[in-house]
Order: sequence, then C-alpha cells, then structure tokens
Amino acid sequence: MPDGLDKPADLVVDGRDMQPPEPLEKTLAALDVLPRGGELLLLIYCHPVPLLNILRKNGFVWTESMREDGTHEIRIRHA
Amino acid sequence: MHPNLSFEQAPPISVPYRFFLTAPWFGIAAGLLLLVQGEVLLASRWAPGTLAMVHLFVAGFMLQAMCGALLQFIPVAAGGNIWRPRWLAAIVHPLLIVAAGLLVAAFLAQRPGFFMAAGHTFAVGLGFFIVVLGLAVWRTPAQGATIVALRIALAALLVTLITGVTLATGLAKGLLLPLPPLADVHAAWGLGGWALILLAGVSYFVVPMFQLTPAYPDWFSRGMPWALLAVVGIWSALFPDFPEPLRSIVLLSGVAVAASYGAVTLHLHARRRRKVSDTSFLFFRLAMLSLLLLLLSALMPLFGDDERITVWLGVLALFGVFFSVINGMLYKIMPFINWLQLQRHYGMQALPPTMNQMLAESQMRAQFRVHLVTLTVLLSAVWLPVLARPGGLLLMLDCGWLALNLLRIVGAYRRFKARVA
Repeated sequence: MPDGLDKPADLVVDGRDMQPPEPLEKTLAALDVLPRGGELLLLIYCHPVPLLNILRKNGFVWTESMREDGTHEIRIRHA
Repeated sequence: MHPNLSFEQAPPISVPYRFFLTAPWFGIAAGLLLLVQGEVLLASRWAPGTLAMVHLFVAGFMLQAMCGALLQFIPVAAGGNIWRPRWLAAIVHPLLIVAAGLLVAAFLAQRPGFFMAAGHTFAVGLGFFIVVLGLAVWRTPAQGATIVALRIALAALLVTLITGVTLATGLAKGLLLPLPPLADVHAAWGLGGWALILLAGVSYFVVPMFQLTPAYPDWFSRGMPWALLAVVGIWSALFPDFPEPLRSIVLLSGVAVAASYGAVTLHLHARRRRKVSDTSFLFFRLAMLSLLLLLLSALMPLFGDDERITVWLGVLALFGVFFSVINGMLYKIMPFINWLQLQRHYGMQALPPTMNQMLAESQMRAQFRVHLVTLTVLLSAVWLPVLARPGGLLLMLDCGWLALNLLRIVGAYRRFKARVA
C-alpha cells in the first residue's frame, strides 16, 4: 500500500510515476470494475481536471486532499 | 510535480495537426534538393542552394511544427486565450507554406520578384500569427518561467521576421545593405532567440511531465532565456563589423548557454523517477547530446577558418538538435492530443486506444534508427563530399517515414471515431 494513506481503499492507482495520460487510462479502467460502495484511490502530482470532468458526468463523487510532497489524493466512489 | 493543464481550452484537433502534418514535407524537399544538387550545398553556407535548403528546414519544417505546437500549448499549458484559433490556422498555415516556397524558389532562381513576394507573404502571415499569439501570452494570468520564455521567444520571432524581410527586400532591390552581417543577426535571433528559447520554455513543462524527471532548477529556468537573449542582443550590437576576438567570444558564449540547457536536461534525465526510454525520449536525448557536441564544435574555428566548420555547426544545430527534438515531441504530443480529444468526446462511453496503440513503438524506433544514420551521414558529408547525395536520399527517407508515422497517428484517431460513431 502506498505510504501515508488514511485508510485502505479497495483499488489504488498510483499515477505519480506514469506518463500522461496513463494515470487517467488506468483510473478509467479501474472505475469500470469498482464495486458499489467501494473506493478508488488515485495518487497523482497534479489536479486532474479531465478526470474530474469525467467523474462529474458519469455519476461519481470524490474527495481531494494534498500531501506535503505535492501528491494529490483523489478518493472516488459511486454517487 | 506536474503543472496543471487546461484541456477545456484545447483548440480543435485540426488546428495543430495541419501544421504538424505539413512539416515533414519540407524536410523531404530539403532532402530532394541535396540529392539533386549534391556536395555544393555543403561546401559553403552562402551557396544559393544551401540557403534554400536551410530555409526549407527553418522556415518550413521548424516553423510549421513550432507554430502548430504553440497553437496547442499556449491555451492548454499557458492559459492563454488565442483569438479564433481555427480561423487563425486557416489563414496562417497556407500563407507560411506559400511564403517558404517563394523564398526557396527565390534562392534557387535568384528572382527579385520572388524575394519580394516571399517577404510580403511572411510579413502578413507570420506577422498576424505573432500579433495574435503575442496578445494571448501577454494577457494570460498564468505566471512562471515558461510564460516568460514564450514571451521572449515570440519577441525574438518578430525580430527574426523584420530582419528576414529586410534581407529579402535588400536582395530583391539590390540595396546596398551589409547582407552577410545582417544574415548573421537574422540567424542569431531565429535560432538562438526564437527556436531555442521556445524549446527551453516548452521543455520546462513537457520534460518533467512526459519524461518523469524532477523540475528544472528555478534559477536555471528563469535565467537561461534572459542569458540567451542578452547574448543575442550583444551579438546584434556588434553589427555590422563583428570585430574579432569579440565575435568569437560572443558566439562561444551563446553556444555555451545553449549547451547548458542540454547539460541540465541530461542531468534531469539521469534522475528520472521511472526509467522509460521510449523513442520520443531517445530523440530528445539525441538533441541534448547534439547541443553538447555543438559546444565542442564551436571551439573548432579557433584552430582554423575553414568554411566547412560553419556548415558542420549548421547541420548539427538544425538537424541534430532541432529536427531531433521536434521529431521526438511530435511522437509524444500527437498521440496525447488524439487521446485527449477522443476521451473528451466519448467520455466513458468508449475508452480510446492507449497512447502506445496510436502508433507502434517499433515504427517510431525504426525511423529513429534511420534518423541516426542520416545525421551521421550528413555530418560526415561536410568533410566527405561523396556522401552528400546519399545524405539527401536518407533525409528524404527519414522525413518520409516521419510523415507516414504522423499519418498513422491521425489514422488511429479516425478509425476510432468511425468505429464508435
């Protein structure tokens, strides 16, 4: 599990060492199999505007926080 | 950390693509010219055919690719609002093709009317482009080293345009202008001011993002464009006499600043978080190594004044540095734009092909190998004239393969749209 997580997520995509748009590709693929009530955690070094637009349009909700090293934690669930 | 991107601001895909898809054809034309005229083009920088070939590269290949990239980059990465990008591209793109064609024809045929027409067409097309993009980068609320570099680069492009039009007018009307020194000033603003500062400014953004390196050091990213601008300014102040040893000192200083950008980038490459050495990365690395070789080569004039040394420096700068880095960036940017456009359009309804599926890595790698051979043969041809025509043929093959690969990327985009529609 990636360091510093508040609580375990059902699925984790660590996009910090991926070339764009790989984090988005992997997140969308993971969302396809995310169970109802489950949580997907995305770790990334930017504010992923394209992903958030997709989540908004497709019935997902999320929370976002940022670590001291600049990592954005995006926790995604079905609405 | 990666900077944020504003994909909602991205122009229609046709805006950058029409420039990108045109660029390699100028390279093919340059290769054809070398194949036809042979070693005379590599004997002196002042031969009419040489000037034609150089401008096929700089005013054709490089200008097309860089204008297309800016039309995508400024709204997405710099937050700049470009006035009617589709209209702008529809006007500027054909004008730049015609202008470059007229300029090449003018050098080859030595027709005054062609020089005038080329100058006027560049003034209208490129002038319009500079005004619209200049407004976008000066008005953007975004800040940082990339924005500063973009502003300096566009200002340098304006100086390049003005000096270029002056040269064309001088050649057309037989004015008593000091043409060779003015050409030196024109080249310094075009390569050092416009092309290299733009390349550096874009690198601050794309190298950490796509090559997974740490960010460029702040002191470097802020200082390098100003240092290069200062050197180009001092170089221009030496006009028209360029007295020695000042000329050599200023030239070496400029190349040293350029090489420092190569050295810092290679240092960042050594500290990548993930060692992905895809073809785009290899092109980029080749360009940075060429910059270091350029610094070593710039010392050669201290040991003699063979005209071929200048030609060697030109081949290394234009083909080793700029062609390589543009080629590498196109292989990263076009699949990325494809993916983003398709993803924006279809959302989760249908996932677009991955970046690697847009164009097979093997196709890119094969062209990279051809490019390496072409660069080696062209550099060798400066000293071994018998290699000039094979070099021309290889250049055609290199650029033709690039053109084909770019069309394949467009094909992947179209196939997906057709399948989903």
